[in-house]
Amino acid sequence: MEKKEMGRKILISLAVVVYLFVFYVVLDANKYKAMVHIIEGAGRVGVNPTSESLDFGDISLGMSATRKVDITNQTVMPVRVLVWTTGDIEDLMNVSDKNFRVGAHSDAEIEFSTYIPASAAVDRDYEGRVYIFKIPTFGL
Amino acid sequence: MKNILNFFTYIVIVAGIVFGLPKLLSHYLNTPYPMAAITSGSMWPALKEGDLVFIQGVEPEQMKVGDIVVFRDKKNSHFVIHRVTKINDKTKTFVTKGDANFSEDEPSDFADLVGQTFEIKGKSIRIPYLGSITVFASNLKEEKKMESIKTP
Repeated sequence: MEKKEMGRKILISLAVVVYLFVFYVVLDANKYKAMVHIIEGAGRVGVNPTSESLDFGDISLGMSATRKVDITNQTVMPVRVLVWTTGDIEDLMNVSDKNFRVGAHSDAEIEFSTYIPASAAVDRDYEGRVYIFKIPTFGL
Repeated sequence: MKNILNFFTYIVIVAGIVFGLPKLLSHYLNTPYPMAAITSGSMWPALKEGDLVFIQGVEPEQMKVGDIVVFRDKKNSHFVIHRVTKINDKTKTFVTKGDANFSEDEPSDFADLVGQTFEIKGKSIRIPYLGSITVFASNLKEEKKMESIKTP
């Protein structure tokens, strides 16, 4: 009976640790709103400089734009970086690397490039969200 | 005993789906290539990269402008899935274009036509992401083949 109770306690403790770990990773993730507005014409790329979101601005068909995100790992432990994109813009956006490792006290750069194909709807906003998770590897 | 029987029933069902379904589809859709994985974004947004689509065998005479067809590209013998933009009955050729592309493809012969995407109510039936899995599996298979060729 005592063994069962002990096992239950261990399981609950493990669940709490896992929950806290996931909570920390989600809380620590970089979250950006990504957007692009399709405009008429050819060879037009608008500039919308902001560090709050991955705003690709106004782009005409056949053009592309690139935004970069710097990742800094200030901890003493290497982290695995996972990039997750959602929304309409996901199909138009290319991510340079979606899964890579950043060493302790190191930097990395992720490049997000958006290309507007011929079939994109003019005067439409394509939006989505980008999540960059930094998962401690604990030396694994 | 019951567990072992359940396990074997499960294996038989899975094997039936894996091996039998393509043959069944091949018979039903009248083509030796009943399924295809989309490996590029040239037909976006009608078909997305990673989709699995069903191919239906058609005669060239049944082909219409606007149909999404599968044909063999003469240059590299690869299959291409693009939309028909022109049909020339005299020269027995057709021209295609990827929806997301800016230019048309080179004309193809009627003989290169493999089929068209299976549609329900005018929309191509596609299974998102499943195509990526099949491409990944076939790449693994290819790699294994290459390894076995390399290894004496």
